[in-house]
Amino acid sequence: MRQICLLFLVVIIAGCSASLESERTVQDDLGRTVPLPSKIGRVAPLAPNVTELLFASGAGSKVVGVSAYDDYPPSVDSLPRYSVIPTDFEAIVALDVDVIFASEQVNNPRDADIFAAVGIPVYFIAVNTLKDITRAMRDLGKLLGTSEAARRRATQLEDSLTQLAALTANLPEKPNVLFLIEVATLYSFGQGSYIHDMIDLAGGHSITRSQSLRFPVLTDEFVLDSSPEVIAGSFGPGFEKSQLLSYHPTWDILPAIVSDRVYRLDSAILRPGPRLVAGSWELARVLHPETVTNP
Amino acid sequence: MNRWITALLAVALVSVIFSVSIGKEVSFAEVLSVLWHHATFGYGASPDPLVDRIVWQLRLPRAVLALIVGGGLGIIGAAMQTLVRNPLAEPYILGISSGATAGASLFYLGFFPPLLSKALSMPIAAFAGGLCAILIVYSVAGSRGHLSVTRLLLAGVAVASLMGALASFITLSSPDPDKLRSVLFWLLGSLHLATWNVLIWPAVAVSIGLVVLLMLARPLDGMLTGDEAAHSLGVPVELMKRILIVLASLVTGSIVAASGAIGFVGLIVPHAVRSFTGVIHRRVLPASFIAGAIFLLWADLAARALLPGAQLPVGIVTALCGVPFFLILLRQNRHGFG
Repeated sequence: MRQICLLFLVVIIAGCSASLESERTVQDDLGRTVPLPSKIGRVAPLAPNVTELLFASGAGSKVVGVSAYDDYPPSVDSLPRYSVIPTDFEAIVALDVDVIFASEQVNNPRDADIFAAVGIPVYFIAVNTLKDITRAMRDLGKLLGTSEAARRRATQLEDSLTQLAALTANLPEKPNVLFLIEVATLYSFGQGSYIHDMIDLAGGHSITRSQSLRFPVLTDEFVLDSSPEVIAGSFGPGFEKSQLLSYHPTWDILPAIVSDRVYRLDSAILRPGPRLVAGSWELARVLHPETVTNP
Repeated sequence: MNRWITALLAVALVSVIFSVSIGKEVSFAEVLSVLWHHATFGYGASPDPLVDRIVWQLRLPRAVLALIVGGGLGIIGAAMQTLVRNPLAEPYILGISSGATAGASLFYLGFFPPLLSKALSMPIAAFAGGLCAILIVYSVAGSRGHLSVTRLLLAGVAVASLMGALASFITLSSPDPDKLRSVLFWLLGSLHLATWNVLIWPAVAVSIGLVVLLMLARPLDGMLTGDEAAHSLGVPVELMKRILIVLASLVTGSIVAASGAIGFVGLIVPHAVRSFTGVIHRRVLPASFIAGAIFLLWADLAARALLPGAQLPVGIVTALCGVPFFLILLRQNRHGFG
């Protein structure tokens, strides 16, 4: 019996000591205090947008595994996969990582407690505006010792956004835009989403900007009432414009339908990461094809 | 009795007009002009096309679906309570709704081939699922002619969980995330898919249910006295039970196919109605139909008002009203009709 107690004690002490190795503490985007080792060699992202941010910050070589949903950049194909909804703790711990990077949009902060118990710190990243992307990249660069690469890439992206803003700043007409996630059930983005930034920058008005929910399910009536001039969405690969009318027959009088301005956008737009910059250009090209021509 | 029915019908009519008038951008006069325009088959000036679509193609079908679903759940609740001679019975509590949901999601995600047409196959799949569920519950609860209320409720809970798990499994294992989101929303019970075409099957099934139950009103009264007494009154008890089970599955299945599983309407409504009309089915059934219709219409109005412009499944509202009611009934421990 005594031996068992002793063994138990040893296990507990070992468990505690694992979390005492940190050499600096930082604040993540959720305001949590995260203890980090001074040198980070192996990291695991818990969401596809986090992977993209890590790669864009020059830390791609430190990524040792990705979520089952990851598909970008192409080099992630050769990495081990793990489930993130729900989180497969064992698979991630087995990768022997120094730090885990999570997304405020996707992951549950309570997961961090479980990783903390085995001595792996979790750093949360929140991207709610376009500015957050380059800010997060610079933060990651600092944390991972790739400041120079992160800063260079971030500046490039910001220059690209500034260039786009200059093109769309003085447009006479800014169409009302409805952004949809899918055709049948009208999931969209509400208050506090980066989507509205992108639509603004691309020279449009987002009609869901003041929806009180973050991910509202819109009614046909709301859409009719807001009469969008453009409907853009990350509709699936089999999407055809006729589907909108078959699911929402009352929309036949919407300006967007009447003037045939329905567009399918690259699904990267659902992923708050560096590719939103290209996504903003893509959106601008469909909103103002005569003004915005080059990428 | 006619007084009650007339009063309820008047409330229903006012509720419908109120329901289609609530919301922004459309004035009451415009609503009336749209209704008048369609009621007279296009007499007078055409209303504004935007208002016409909002009122005639979005709000009115939704209100009518609420009436049909609420009314259908009301009469089926009343019939189930007579079947098991207990006021706690209801299609949702006894697992029929979950069974229908499981059947419908199997079909929706492409596990069943479409038999006749897509519009008809979904209610048929839901009917089959509901029938399976109630047959399991009923056979577990009854033994040697006696139906144990405790076993009935427990079996209902268990089968509802099983069917719910089945529906969730089917949903989560679907490779198509778009369908997944749609099904999740519909699992909670919602009227947001209402169009005139969606209404057809529930309307037919609920009408059949109402007519058949009204024709059976006298034998149903007899069944309240117990199997043996009913038998001595000349009621074909076993045949009646079979008819009621099939009818309940048919109506619930067609309702679930259109609106998902909306719970507790069939529990609250007949119970409330009986305190005004007494237990005679000739009165309880029509009153339950209209009162159920009104109740669901107002529940949906509440769901629409809580999150304007966005969607809240009405099943959440009916559960919020229904569960406390169910618990009070359970606490009162009166396993019979007052």
